[in-house]
Amino acid sequence: MIIGNTFDIQNLNLFYGAKQALYNIDMKIPKNQVTALIGPSGCGKSTLLRTLNRMNDLVDSCEIKGTIKYDDEEIYAPKYDVISLRTKVGMVFQKPNPFPMSIFDNIAYGPRCQGIKDPKKLQNIVKNALVKAALYDEVEDRLKESAFSLSGGQQQRLCIARTIAMEPEVILMDEPTSALDPIATAKIEELISELKKNYTIVIVTHNMQQAARISDNTAFFLMGKLVEYDKTDILFSSPKQKQTEDYITGRFG
Amino acid sequence: MIKNEINIMKKKPRKHWHVSDRGTQALLLIPTLLSASFVLFIVIFVTRRGISPFLPSVYGANAVNWIRFLTGTTWFQAPNIYGVFFIIVNTVYIVMFAALLSVPIGVITALFITKMTPKGVSHVFQTVIELLASIPSIVYGVFGVGIITKLVMSLSEFFNLQTAGGLSTLSTIMVLAIMILPTVTLVSVTAIRAVNPELEKNSLALGATKTQTMFRITLVSAKSGIFAGIILGIGRALGEATAVSLVAGNAGSGPTLDLFSTTRTLTSTMLLGLKETVGLDYDIRFSVGIVLIVVVLLSNVLLNAVKRRVGRFS
Amino acid sequence: MNHSSRRKKDISIKIVISLVSTFGIFVFCSILFFVFQNGASLLSWKLISSDYYSTNYDTYYDGEVPSQPFTRPNTLSSDAFFSEKWGIAFIDEVDNEGIAYVQIIYVSEDSPLRILPDKNDSTQEVTIDEYQALEKVIFSNRTIFLSSSGAENAARMFDQSDGILDMLTSTPGKGIRGSIITTLILIGLTLVISLPIGVLTAIYLHEFAPKKWIIISYLRRLIEMLTGIPSIVFGLMGAAVFIPFVSSLTGADGGNLISGSLTLAVIVLPVIISSTEEALKTIPDDYRQASLALGATKTQTTFRVVLKIAIPGILSSVLLSIGRIIGESAALIYAVGTAIKDKIILTERSTSLAVHIWSIMAGESPNFELASAISIIILLVVFVLNIVVKLITHRLISVGREKI
Repeated sequence: MIIGNTFDIQNLNLFYGAKQALYNIDMKIPKNQVTALIGPSGCGKSTLLRTLNRMNDLVDSCEIKGTIKYDDEEIYAPKYDVISLRTKVGMVFQKPNPFPMSIFDNIAYGPRCQGIKDPKKLQNIVKNALVKAALYDEVEDRLKESAFSLSGGQQQRLCIARTIAMEPEVILMDEPTSALDPIATAKIEELISELKKNYTIVIVTHNMQQAARISDNTAFFLMGKLVEYDKTDILFSSPKQKQTEDYITGRFG
Repeated sequence: MIKNEINIMKKKPRKHWHVSDRGTQALLLIPTLLSASFVLFIVIFVTRRGISPFLPSVYGANAVNWIRFLTGTTWFQAPNIYGVFFIIVNTVYIVMFAALLSVPIGVITALFITKMTPKGVSHVFQTVIELLASIPSIVYGVFGVGIITKLVMSLSEFFNLQTAGGLSTLSTIMVLAIMILPTVTLVSVTAIRAVNPELEKNSLALGATKTQTMFRITLVSAKSGIFAGIILGIGRALGEATAVSLVAGNAGSGPTLDLFSTTRTLTSTMLLGLKETVGLDYDIRFSVGIVLIVVVLLSNVLLNAVKRRVGRFS
Repeated sequence: MNHSSRRKKDISIKIVISLVSTFGIFVFCSILFFVFQNGASLLSWKLISSDYYSTNYDTYYDGEVPSQPFTRPNTLSSDAFFSEKWGIAFIDEVDNEGIAYVQIIYVSEDSPLRILPDKNDSTQEVTIDEYQALEKVIFSNRTIFLSSSGAENAARMFDQSDGILDMLTSTPGKGIRGSIITTLILIGLTLVISLPIGVLTAIYLHEFAPKKWIIISYLRRLIEMLTGIPSIVFGLMGAAVFIPFVSSLTGADGGNLISGSLTLAVIVLPVIISSTEEALKTIPDDYRQASLALGATKTQTTFRVVLKIAIPGILSSVLLSIGRIIGESAALIYAVGTAIKDKIILTERSTSLAVHIWSIMAGESPNFELASAISIIILLVVFVLNIVVKLITHRLISVGREKI
């Protein structure tokens, strides 16, 4: 049971080979709140997000220095169980990427990989996940159809449901609405506000207004450095750093 | 607690693989090693079998002298006179001429397909050539015996020459040329399509005609790709067995440079008389196999060296 | 050179190019024409289902004469001559060498002549059916019928007699059933051997191999080298390695279908490996990442998600391999043998369709008609396979574009 913070990032530096992408990041991610990471392209926000569920491991040249603790455990420790980390820290990607399977199988995929085979259990899991992702009503009678028969926005909610099926504690979202139309975007933002009651959400977005709308805390990144990190209303109304103010008012970015 | 809070030095994230993944990685190595080992199997075992005719330890007094084998100009089973030199000459001679015939036709056909026909027609044309490429060699063999040899026979009558029912060097050359044609054409098509269209546009803009552009710019730019196709075709021709065996005849000595005489290639030697043969006569075919592999390898190396020189300016 | 003469030159060169390019089409049509002209007449169900070797049957009938006359079936051709007494019909036929003979074209289910005792072996019975030729009959009334007398006489003499002392029939032979079965067995066995090895190798090379190992590129090169080897050399390996191997395992005497399949498996292996790798390459990383982010292991990701998506690509390599197997001759000549068989046994020799052609062409009297007929069958199958593969790859490309 996590009390207070989920992630505790201390003095994090990240390198792709010789090139440094993150400089001395210090931040804590509070539980059951939405924390937004904003900043111009290439500022490192997505990179930071991916360190949280160790998806950066897929890049051969990636090396890190510093600490990231999840639930008080250093997640980059040598014998740390990455697989279980990922079941607790889920991720939704920018482009909806449902598997070429039925809607049901998509959501049941994660649980099945963990060894759950009982059809009744799986049905329950799928239904719950779809309900929590606000998608159940729209698909309840076509669970066996291909996931590709859904619209873009629905596919993204499917991906969220897929993640929820694992019963994570944290959901990471990497620009989840940038590939969607405004209506679908609004639906997902609404969903996020609901989800934060039960999950911690960390969302990367290049849309400042979105961050202002839905997040409780916002972290502003610039060229790999964490410039400012504060409660959202404070950061947007009276930012402490000039760079933050410049970005928010649109002077660059 | 303290241990976790100590600043851990710069480290590579350990591979995020599960234990089962390591197991999978190890297990999958088995079929991979197996796949890679087949080439070695071929070389080792064919060589072993192919060397045995030369070993007195295996064949005693009947053992073939390897020098006479490599330099000989006759091939007869009865008194164990096996000479492969003339066969090598025949093979190279025939393949060279086959290439000489099929390469121009193939390249021109490729030009036609890519530059001179609308999309629908070129698609049909290309499909036909692809179907030609898929015809098994035995069918070419039947065609060769049925039509090509008859053609050669009538041709020889025209010149008042004799042939052994059409089985001849010329027939072999023609059959091989037809077989190489699709390969050369298709690879050339790909090579020509890869040429930057800007080059051609520039040429036309400078006032060159379409054909001048085709030959002076397109073909020249596609040179190395086309050459790769030629190498591929020649490789196929050198190794072609059943079709060649049916139209080459059974020349006992040589080399045969005369177009209308029967001939003998490395592969036809390996196939002729296989049904009734045992012992030394069987094993010597493996020796010919070794020679074939060497010839294919050498021709590959040689032609690739030429290709590099030819492509020096692209 | 002035403008108009340049144009003329341009046009004349274009004409030459067009003419030369028709050579390919010309060759294609000639091959098809030749093969159809010689072999089409032989194509029939009889060809596909009969034995290659003809069998002679020596039978007799001394039972009761049927009490009721048989009715001539409507489906019977008007050229056939029907014996009402016995319910059997004959037709005049001409064989491959142009010699006339009489073929039994119909035997009623109720005819007593349907199943007759074998004169040479009293324990055996012979079924007289529509594929057999009527060679000679000595009727119980001592009249003799010979094949040269024709079908009409045959029917008449049957109607006039009450029993048969001696009847000689023969099956036509020259059928390719054995070779068809052999080809199918070779295809099946070869795929069963080569698919797992090939697909798993491709998966290792593309998904699991440590990128830093230099040995991986050597392994790749060793596999690629297989494509440059002439197929007859594969046959040599089959003869030198696989035949003794299978013989020691199963007691087979010389070439056999298992050694043939092993040889073919090595030939098609590079095709399967490279097609599978290509398919794996085109699968977007998104899927792998989504799966891993859900807490799946790399093994689960590869086999539950990635492999499934790669199936169409693997399928097209299967079809290509089938085409290769059907067309392969030189390798099988060495790795199996050239003995045409009617009874197909895994541990014995027999011929695939392509080797069957070789067997009948390489002897003293090549049988063009049969060789052409088999060629037609091979060409049809190979062409269809090629076109299907083209359609699959086209569909893959367009579906891929849709998704984006």
